[in-house]
Amino acid sequence: MNIYDIVFYLFAAITLVSAFFVVTTRNIVYSAFNLLFTFFGVAGLYVLLGADFVAVVQIMVYVGGILILILFGVMLTNKITNVQIKTGTLQVIPAVIGVLLLAGVLIFKVFLGTEWKSVKTDIPVKTTAFALGKLLITDYVLIFELLGILLLVVLIGAATIARREK
Amino acid sequence: MQDFYNILPLILVASGIVISVVIEILSDNSEKILPWFSALVLLSASVYSIMLMNNTGTIFNGMLATGGNVYIFHFIFTIGAMLIILGSIDYIKKYGSYFGEYYILILNAVLGMMIMASARDLFMVFIGLELMSICFYVLAGINRKKLNANEASLKYVLLGAFASGFVVYGIALIYGTAQTTSIDKIIAGFVPLSHNILFITGLFLFLVGFSFKIAAFPFHQWVPDVYQGSATTISGLMSTGGKAAAFSVLIILLSAVAPSNANVFRPYFAVIATLSMIYGSIVAISQNNLKRMLAYSSIAHAGYMSIGLASGNYESIAGIIFYLAAYTFMNIGAFIVISMIEGENDSKLQLSDYVGLNAKNPKLAALMALFMFALSGLPPFAGFFGKYYVFISAIEANLTWLAIVGVISSVISVYFYLRVIVLMYFKEPETSVAVHNSNYGVLAAVISALFVIVFGLFPGTLLDLITSFLK
Amino acid sequence: MNIIPIEYYLVLSAFMFAVGITGVLIRKNAIVVFMCIELMLNSANLALVTFSSYLGNAAGQVFVFFVMTVAAAESAVGLAIIIAIFRNKLTVNIDEINIFKW
Repeated sequence: MNIYDIVFYLFAAITLVSAFFVVTTRNIVYSAFNLLFTFFGVAGLYVLLGADFVAVVQIMVYVGGILILILFGVMLTNKITNVQIKTGTLQVIPAVIGVLLLAGVLIFKVFLGTEWKSVKTDIPVKTTAFALGKLLITDYVLIFELLGILLLVVLIGAATIARREK
Repeated sequence: MQDFYNILPLILVASGIVISVVIEILSDNSEKILPWFSALVLLSASVYSIMLMNNTGTIFNGMLATGGNVYIFHFIFTIGAMLIILGSIDYIKKYGSYFGEYYILILNAVLGMMIMASARDLFMVFIGLELMSICFYVLAGINRKKLNANEASLKYVLLGAFASGFVVYGIALIYGTAQTTSIDKIIAGFVPLSHNILFITGLFLFLVGFSFKIAAFPFHQWVPDVYQGSATTISGLMSTGGKAAAFSVLIILLSAVAPSNANVFRPYFAVIATLSMIYGSIVAISQNNLKRMLAYSSIAHAGYMSIGLASGNYESIAGIIFYLAAYTFMNIGAFIVISMIEGENDSKLQLSDYVGLNAKNPKLAALMALFMFALSGLPPFAGFFGKYYVFISAIEANLTWLAIVGVISSVISVYFYLRVIVLMYFKEPETSVAVHNSNYGVLAAVISALFVIVFGLFPGTLLDLITSFLK
Repeated sequence: MNIIPIEYYLVLSAFMFAVGITGVLIRKNAIVVFMCIELMLNSANLALVTFSSYLGNAAGQVFVFFVMTVAAAESAVGLAIIIAIFRNKLTVNIDEINIFKW
């Protein structure tokens, strides 16, 4: 048990436990805060995987952007935060069985059943930002441009739906 | 420079979007200018997609494909959206969302569809899919005062985002095994990869995500509500362009592995096809709302097209593309006629409103009858040949039972299509309420009708063209 | 050093994916459903970064940016729709938003 193992188990535990609470908590604000911990846990795992830049972006975009957006959504529709949210008993059991089946196949048959011939590379100590930036504006520049159009659409679309009356 | 010329349809639509945003900002009556501008952009893109059809190849580092069947898809998307825009000009005033943004979003959705058909990289496919879907989420709820539209939009966005979760996870697993997301490289190494369970799982999750988008049976729950709740013209675009774009991606994956490795997909698509055909045809019988009926019929049509995916030979791929072309024009025509008959606040959508339509408005009744005949798959219209080619390909692939199920469910579906015609022609109208009429709408419906008739009279020409690009 | 086996990360991502799907299927509040979809996308991102790191192929990390952008786009549009429906109906519970019969 060296330091890497401990860090991995710590972040994995944070991620999984908080992800579990996102789904099970009845209070929507608690769900949002558990989601925050999930995002942090995943960011920690990214650092452990040597993806430092992605980890920073994860915290900035997910925590700073998406989660704040979701919290705004919660607050703007605040009348339901105190309402007891019904968790239908009819759907739970088939859903859980189906998902357990999928997860079981995915984990035991696929991930643990595959012969991994992964290259045992050392995690690079230097930052990945340079390599990523180069890929982003060479091989994947077209996708990058299209994402610009996508964000334009989102601006127009969200404004169209949520605007005031003319 | 030649590369840029080869993707002129895409460039035209993309620059059209930017210009229309500028028009929207600068002009006070953009809702009058934008329909004509966007129709012009789409028309020129469709003309260029025909002209450049022979320039096959890939560009941008193997990211996009040009020419060939890709441009047949581009033609379908652009002409289909142009007809929808013509039909929308009068409709959206009645519907209560008379905004310029409507047209910008349609152009964006078309760009997304064209990217999906052209894409030769899984992430390109994903971005195209999202570009199209996000526009549809907004367009479904564009009139935010209507609870129907809100609900349609919410259901669509929740299930659509759920489906894209599957697509992304599938792409991640495919990337993990193939070490690339380039479709051409994946296809080149497909035979060794297809023995890798991780790769097959990834592909399966990807297909599940796309089954939501083509509206096939176990993943169809959003379809009736979304088609019924959205603006009628938008339902027309979602059911044709959206479906065709999702199928174009599946066809790319299939055409590369056909015919030798098609067995990987066969059981999945055979099950999906059977369930969708039977479920769609049977449930459509009990529907009284015409838009909802067409939604269930759209599920059934996804089933017929999936027969082609299950048989997985070159004939079936050509058959699906022909079917999609035919289906686009008949369904868009039908939705445009419905949009003209529809009254304010979602009224006059029931079957009873079509009783004796011939006496009130013979022009619309004739057009509607033609589209219903074509959708039911009776000869000599285009719909018949679409089904015929797909069923023949299934028999060639030793899937005769699937073709028989297809014929049976077609026979069932004749009932609810012909019921509309019987009501229009052989019943006396109870009320004599005037039918809204729109010259542009009639023009769009007539153009669709011409395509349906021409494809029905000369099916071989189009099919030969598609087949020549497959080899 | 990658001394932690690749399976560990992938199993973790599969668990997150499964938890996300479960949430989408059983929760009734539309905003919570959105959070669960974010969980699903995050699990895909974790798988992408894992593969990218273990295969020594940087492209996987670029894809993570694309997925993040799309996730942000979807939640922006989704929350706009939720707010629109809330103004009309004062609820965001999916089972109450049901004027169509299934």
